[in-house]
Amino acid sequence: MRLSRRAFLALSAGALAGCGKPADIRNTVRRFIGKPTASPLEGALTAPAASEIDDISHVLNRLTFGARPGNYARVATIGAKTFIDEQLAPAKITDTLCERVIRHEFDSLADPESRLFPRKADAKDPLVALFPAMKDRGARVSDLYEMKEKVLLTDLTRATILRAVLSERQLFEVMVQFWTDHFNIDPSKGECRWLKAADDRDVIRAHALGNFRDMVRASAVSPAMLWYLDGRENRRSSPSDKPNENYARELMELHTLGVHGGYTQQDVMEVARCLTGWTCRDKKKFFKGRVEFHAKDHDDGPKRVLGMDIPGGLGARDLDRVLEIVTAHPSCTKYISWKLCRRFISDDPPKSAVDETSRAFAASKGDIPATLRALFATPEFWANETRGVKFKRPFHFVVSALRTANAETNASNDLTEYLRRLGHAPFRYPTPDGYPEEATHWKSTLLWRWNFAAALAENRIKGTHIDLDELRARIGGNDALLASIFGRKPTDSERAAFLEPGAGLALAIAAPAFQRC
Amino acid sequence: MASPQALITGNEDERRTLVVVFLRGGADGLALVPPVSDDHYFKARPRLGIRSEKAVQIDNHFALHPEMSPLADAWHDGDLAIVHACGIEDDTRSHFEAQDLMEHGGVAAGGWLGRFLRVRPAPSSGALACVAVGRALPECLLGAPTVTVMQEFSDFSLSAKSPNLRSQLEALYAMESGQLGVAAKDTFDALTRIEAMRSQKYQPANGANYGDDDFSRGLSQLAQLIKADVGLEAASMDLNGWDSHFTQETAITGLIQRLARGLSAFRTDLGSRMATTSVVVMTEFGRTIQENSAFGTDHGRGSSMFVLGGGVQGGRMHGAWRGLAPEQNERRGLLDGYGDLPVLNNYRDVLAPVLVRHGAVKEDLQKVFPRFSLNPLPLYA
Repeated sequence: MRLSRRAFLALSAGALAGCGKPADIRNTVRRFIGKPTASPLEGALTAPAASEIDDISHVLNRLTFGARPGNYARVATIGAKTFIDEQLAPAKITDTLCERVIRHEFDSLADPESRLFPRKADAKDPLVALFPAMKDRGARVSDLYEMKEKVLLTDLTRATILRAVLSERQLFEVMVQFWTDHFNIDPSKGECRWLKAADDRDVIRAHALGNFRDMVRASAVSPAMLWYLDGRENRRSSPSDKPNENYARELMELHTLGVHGGYTQQDVMEVARCLTGWTCRDKKKFFKGRVEFHAKDHDDGPKRVLGMDIPGGLGARDLDRVLEIVTAHPSCTKYISWKLCRRFISDDPPKSAVDETSRAFAASKGDIPATLRALFATPEFWANETRGVKFKRPFHFVVSALRTANAETNASNDLTEYLRRLGHAPFRYPTPDGYPEEATHWKSTLLWRWNFAAALAENRIKGTHIDLDELRARIGGNDALLASIFGRKPTDSERAAFLEPGAGLALAIAAPAFQRC
Repeated sequence: MASPQALITGNEDERRTLVVVFLRGGADGLALVPPVSDDHYFKARPRLGIRSEKAVQIDNHFALHPEMSPLADAWHDGDLAIVHACGIEDDTRSHFEAQDLMEHGGVAAGGWLGRFLRVRPAPSSGALACVAVGRALPECLLGAPTVTVMQEFSDFSLSAKSPNLRSQLEALYAMESGQLGVAAKDTFDALTRIEAMRSQKYQPANGANYGDDDFSRGLSQLAQLIKADVGLEAASMDLNGWDSHFTQETAITGLIQRLARGLSAFRTDLGSRMATTSVVVMTEFGRTIQENSAFGTDHGRGSSMFVLGGGVQGGRMHGAWRGLAPEQNERRGLLDGYGDLPVLNNYRDVLAPVLVRHGAVKEDLQKVFPRFSLNPLPLYA
């Protein structure tokens, strides 16, 4: 299995480039992925019949990366509230297709940290067995060594896109993206290029719909985070050593309290002192990627953080004390709740909704499903002026287009290239604050949205294929197709524009209504 | 079509454009800007040293390579500032590593120019706010809000089978009020202006004389974008091939020609618009002071950086310089010979004042160049 996957990666570029005819693409995608990558069009595909965004379309817009054909009919049957409950308990959702694709194609993402690093190929390495094949295609021995990094990041990026497109646990994937931004790590720094894969698995995905405090704890000792925010260099080996404050500051400013969360420069320094001694073994060492606490590098004196005393002599347990203090702080409650409301309600969320969400966050001690359940119950979430007005970020736009068109995709470089042009490729954001949420940052992306829409509609994206005629026939004609895309009946001008010569799906995906959710 | 004078979007109050030129391969600062009054220079380079009679003397100490002469006017007009002995703090001799460090702005995620465009309080909003001339996104632009990677103007276009898509979209977006409607109008305007540029042969202004090579072509495209007011805030370009281990003169003379001719034509072409345009020229490291047996030079440390236009205090050398006497140089354990020109001026201290000129404030600079205590050179009045 491992060999076949790596063979796939090594050879896919050439093989996919060779299949120009649209009819071949579907078969090629199937051959490489192994199984179809779009759910079959089964069951009722009833499209929305209201002229405004109704409850069903609204929850699909906000809790998912866009509705697939058939989602609307299903939620109409079980009800929007039941759908929310389902999505808040992802472990109970059957997700066979997505799980199978990820397990089959991206086995390296499950490797332990030390195996994420590149290594010199030995005789047993499957890469060596593969080498004659690669050599025929012009690869050099040194490429073997370099390959791991590219494969890993490509894997992680493709897996992220495929999960967003395929998973039935849509809210979970939405939250994975939310926390990926919240605890942003750009893999282009140092050894993050290998270790981000572990962070994605063990921090973000492990806790995306779990408990916020557990997630902060996991992030604090994540090897990638120790690299990204320099925690691994934060030590006090001698009295003259000045702690590295980078992580301490971002822990409070970005991860927990918010920039005006009431901490001072003194607090930053004290938190940095508490975290001295935590480090990560680099790739030159045995047990590379392992996180360790070195007592000799720890400042074990007494500290005071946000008005709370931390006695001396706690050693590694300083970390737990610090995290208790910052995650239980009212500023943390308010900041996280505000960010969630900004994501799910509006760029400038009403205070009443933030307060309601905050109460649930505090009462549940950071339980994320409980907090979201309260958010989704606020009148502000359901208000008419909330519906259909949020500007999709480019990733959301691209994935929702793939979903609404029931596209098959292997998330190849060709697709990622569009995300890169749109300024929103996964794992490409440089600073610790993560991709911005508000529409104003994404205003300049329209041209590449339109180009993507045309390329998708015309089957010009390598490794991605749609069958519009089949979809239209199954869904019941043009009007129903438009309603399925927009989540409501098309307006007269939308319908007229869609029916003009040459318009079709490209226009629907590029239309203003599809830029919003 | 919008009036060609109207600015589409972006930095309305300050129409400023920053162009970054990267000389890949490690350009020899001692050939570009030879210290012709330093005897050590000719001792270290008996065959490759630029003889003072051929060079363009620019002050008591330095000259420009003869092929740099098209830039002499810019220097004498006070429009070109030069910093010698410039580079990164790390002494890696790997092109890849050094370029990465320089383009990321240290051991940092993303590129310094990308971060700059992202962290400012008013982030770039125009569809053409940032252009990378070439085939791929350079590392310095990683993390930028949007970048158009463009070899030709046709790369910035709406490509669809149906020729009607554009007018249909225009009709649909015309009904949009608010941000989305404005953004769409900006985009259509930019498309229209680019199409106008494509449809006619470009006539550079003021008799500017671009060369017939990719570098000049790229710069003339940027000049057109700047003049068309499409909201271009930053652009990047590469000029490759500076790794002159063998027969250096042959290897780089043509490159220097292209560099100087292109930049000089760009400056002439833009005329008064040069006051709001800055060009920075940089390279990952310089070359050994001493020539090698193959009439070449090897990977070294300090090189020179150039800042052109944009109100720079030009016509003078900026930053520290200590001459080439062996005891001043980086020796790397060498017992004899000249070693390397040390990095006396960190590249960030050249970039920082340029970024301030382009709207960065102190907090922005900390994000653009994290974990570095800046000591910006006084390049501006």
